[in-house]
Amino acid sequence: MTIEKTQNGTELTVKVAGRLETVTAPQLDAELKASLEGVTALVLDFSGLDYISSAGLRVLFAAQKTMNRQGSMVIRGANEDVKEVFEVTGSMEILTIE
Amino acid sequence: MVYFRLIIAAACPVLATAVLYLLSRKTALGRWSRTRSQLLYGLLLGGVSVFCSEFGVPAYGVIINVRDAAPLSAGLVFGAPAGILAGLIGGMERWFAVYWGAGTYTRLACSVSTILAGLLGAAIRKWMFDDKKPSWYYGFAVGLVMEVLHMLMIFFTNMSDVKQAFTFVKGCAPPMIVANAFSVMFCLLTVTLMGKERLRVDKEHKQLSQTFSRWLFAVVMAAFVITSLFTFILQNRVSISDNTALLWLNIEDVKADVGDASDENLLRLTRSVAQDIEKAGGVDNSLLYTISAKPGNDFSEINVVGEDGIIACSTNRDYVGFDMASGDQARDFLVLLEGEKTEYVQSYQPTSRNADTYMKYAGVALADGGFVQVGYDAARFRQDIDQEVVGATRNRHVGETGFIIICGDDSAKTVVSSPHGGEEEGESLSVTGLSLEGLEEGRRYEAEVYGVPSYLMYTVSEGYYIIAVEPVDEVLFFRDLSVYVTVFMEIIVFAVLFALVYLLIKKLVVENIHRINGTLAQITGGNLNVSVDVRTNEEFVSLSDDINSTVTTLKGYIAEAAARIDKELEIAKVIQSSTLPSVFPPYPDRTDFDIYATMDTAKEVGGDFYDFYLLDENRLAFLIADVSGKGITAAMFMMQAKSILKSCAEREGDVARILAAANDALCEGNDAEMFVTCWMGILNLATGELTFASAGHNPPVIRQGGETRFLEFRPGFVLGEIEHLNYRTGQLTLEPGDEIYLYTDGVTEATDAQLQLYGNDRLLAAMKSAEGLSAQEVCRLVKADVDRFAGDAPQFDDITMLHLRLLPRDKITVKPEMDSVERVLGFVEDTLRKAGTPEKILVKMNIVTDEIFSNIVRYSGAAQASVEVAVADGEARLIFTDDGRPYDPTQKPDPDTTAPAEEREIGGMGIFIVKKFMDRVDYLCRDGRNILTLTKRFDPPTP
Repeated sequence: MTIEKTQNGTELTVKVAGRLETVTAPQLDAELKASLEGVTALVLDFSGLDYISSAGLRVLFAAQKTMNRQGSMVIRGANEDVKEVFEVTGSMEILTIE
Repeated sequence: MVYFRLIIAAACPVLATAVLYLLSRKTALGRWSRTRSQLLYGLLLGGVSVFCSEFGVPAYGVIINVRDAAPLSAGLVFGAPAGILAGLIGGMERWFAVYWGAGTYTRLACSVSTILAGLLGAAIRKWMFDDKKPSWYYGFAVGLVMEVLHMLMIFFTNMSDVKQAFTFVKGCAPPMIVANAFSVMFCLLTVTLMGKERLRVDKEHKQLSQTFSRWLFAVVMAAFVITSLFTFILQNRVSISDNTALLWLNIEDVKADVGDASDENLLRLTRSVAQDIEKAGGVDNSLLYTISAKPGNDFSEINVVGEDGIIACSTNRDYVGFDMASGDQARDFLVLLEGEKTEYVQSYQPTSRNADTYMKYAGVALADGGFVQVGYDAARFRQDIDQEVVGATRNRHVGETGFIIICGDDSAKTVVSSPHGGEEEGESLSVTGLSLEGLEEGRRYEAEVYGVPSYLMYTVSEGYYIIAVEPVDEVLFFRDLSVYVTVFMEIIVFAVLFALVYLLIKKLVVENIHRINGTLAQITGGNLNVSVDVRTNEEFVSLSDDINSTVTTLKGYIAEAAARIDKELEIAKVIQSSTLPSVFPPYPDRTDFDIYATMDTAKEVGGDFYDFYLLDENRLAFLIADVSGKGITAAMFMMQAKSILKSCAEREGDVARILAAANDALCEGNDAEMFVTCWMGILNLATGELTFASAGHNPPVIRQGGETRFLEFRPGFVLGEIEHLNYRTGQLTLEPGDEIYLYTDGVTEATDAQLQLYGNDRLLAAMKSAEGLSAQEVCRLVKADVDRFAGDAPQFDDITMLHLRLLPRDKITVKPEMDSVERVLGFVEDTLRKAGTPEKILVKMNIVTDEIFSNIVRYSGAAQASVEVAVADGEARLIFTDDGRPYDPTQKPDPDTTAPAEEREIGGMGIFIVKKFMDRVDYLCRDGRNILTLTKRFDPPTP
């Protein structure tokens, strides 16, 4: 998994590529926790993400909770596989997927 | 000349035998049929017998010949038929030879003896020497016995005249016996020498019959000598004492005859003198002269003795007045005065008056008292009775041919009477060649009389020397006869005894011993089911029974020992098999390989073995080996080899160096001269790299990429024979799913009832048919195929095999921790992709693997977990197994997927995803393990 961050004022774009699962999820979790301070708009670019597991969802949910308090969070470019996971888990209701 | 001719005759059979023997050895004669050759030998030696018969040597009034030698030699040297034929020819010729001049006296004896000689030679060869030629000294003995028999035959066929027969035998026996015996002996000796045999075979141990023969010979010889000597001495004594008695008896007879004649004569004269005196009425000297002068009164003296015993008148005046009582000789006459006797005659003896004067007196009592005594002097006496003496002695025989000689006691000893009659009478005794000079009267002497050695004895009586003579030959005839007959009979008896003892020992002892030995040889050869059964006499019955009971006991012990050995072998088998890895699967946690091995021993313990062990986590050493030989020693060597190989494997890294080191260790102190063949491989499980080396072992079967073949590789030399050998390492790489099958020659060399070998081709075919089976199934299949092939044929060798299979990598077993998650995920993805799983499904499978395995890592507390991937029949299946806390995810309630983010239960989400993504989720808790099976169809079920 690779993580690419782009800070534009209070808007942060994080590009995640590869797989987001048990092994890699803590990495993203740590990255976001360190970067979300003062961010009002978080964009997660999932165009390079292969798939996601519940461990990844847990990170996304945590990030969503934080962003609910200080701004907004958008997930972009998720593929079919990732979207299926979101659908199955009812994440579409919580997350903003464009 | 006589002896020279005898030697020539005796040499004939020797020469004939030698020539025939040479011909039979060097020419076509040796290849003739037995009948033909025996006929030839018989005819020719029969001819020699005839020749020897005709070539007889006249001596001692008989014909000495060596007729018996040829038939004897024929029988002894060439065979029984030849001997019998030669004997018949010789004997018949002798019978008819009387028509052209041969003697009739011994006709029967000689004919029969010659036939007997042939029979004897034949019988001795056949029965005493097992139809083989006897030693030369037996030839001498047989010749000697045969001739003795011949001599006895002469006796027995002429019993009517023993004396003549004896004379005959005495003359011819010694030369004939010696000639024949030597002839036969030289026949055998010549043949022995020509056959290049040794004359004397020195054996370390004498034959029983020989020992008996020797002792028998010694004892009988001693008895023979003693008896002969005793007979001789006794017969000699008897003969001499008989002779002495005979001589003396004759002397006494003659003496008595002479005395009687003389007494009668003198008494007659004395009576007539007494009548004359009584007729005259008175007596004086002149009357006496007158009477004395009367014709016919040729006496020398008349004395008339008065009643007072004094000579009253005499023709010798000097005697008148002589007192008859004054001398012994004269006093004897006084009995006439006592009135009891009227006549008295005295022998010729010295007179009382003068001891030098010999006189013979007779006295007759006179009617009117006193008596008249008339005396002869020597000259007158002899003159008076010579005629009487001659009459009494001339025709007298002493014994049969002995005689009496009488001569006077004058100085010339004039012969009065001799067997030669008048021509010698009046001559001196010296004409008989006899001199009595120095000989004592009444004693027996030996001297030549008329040139014949004779015994003699003499006495002097009435003025005569009476000499009795008997020839020595006559005296000793019975002695010699007895000695000859005794000696001959003893020789025959000895020969018969000797032969009898020889045959009896052979028959009763030697043959029985051979029979027993034969059986014993069978018994020592291992056949304990035979029994000795010699029941000819008690000793052998006892021996047989003893041996049989020993064998029975032995059989018992052997059975007992066999049972014990069986038990020990059983134990050894247990020990042996306990040293081989026998728990399968040996590494239940290894998913990368499958190994199985089996050993079926032919005997209770065998020399085969297999072994395998992990040198480290990824290196598996495995080997198969075959120790030469069987049984306990092979098993012990096998144990040693096995432990040496293992310790070498732990020390050395390279398989060739392991074998080299093991070889050196096994060579050390390998007193049993055993060896091991071995094939050893080391497989790197991580890389699939296999290194291997072979010490003279069969090539394994390898299945690589679906191709089944023998792994041909030049093997090194066997282990345990030669030190400091190098082995070569072979190398190849195995992929998962590849297999290798090791075996011993018990597999390929198993035989069926027709002794055909199972062979490589059948093995390869069996291995091909076993594709896709587990290691255990492969081993079972091959063993079953071998068993089917062998049928009821016994198993000769250990059948040992080891199968190693690299498992296809569709299962991964790991320690459940975060670090292994990626491995598991990689494994699942790889496996599914290889199996051709669609990409869409693949992602879902990855997600569920992540969910389930991360749960196991986080919550189960398991020490081990595995994931097995199976793709078949259009669906993919994942089987998660862990030994953690029992946990059934299917029972977990679904999370609320409509709750806002803040309230969401993150924990249940993973399982929920799994349930949603998979077609089936099955949970099973077995043997303390959680087994979760996830199934996903490739094509979603049509709604």
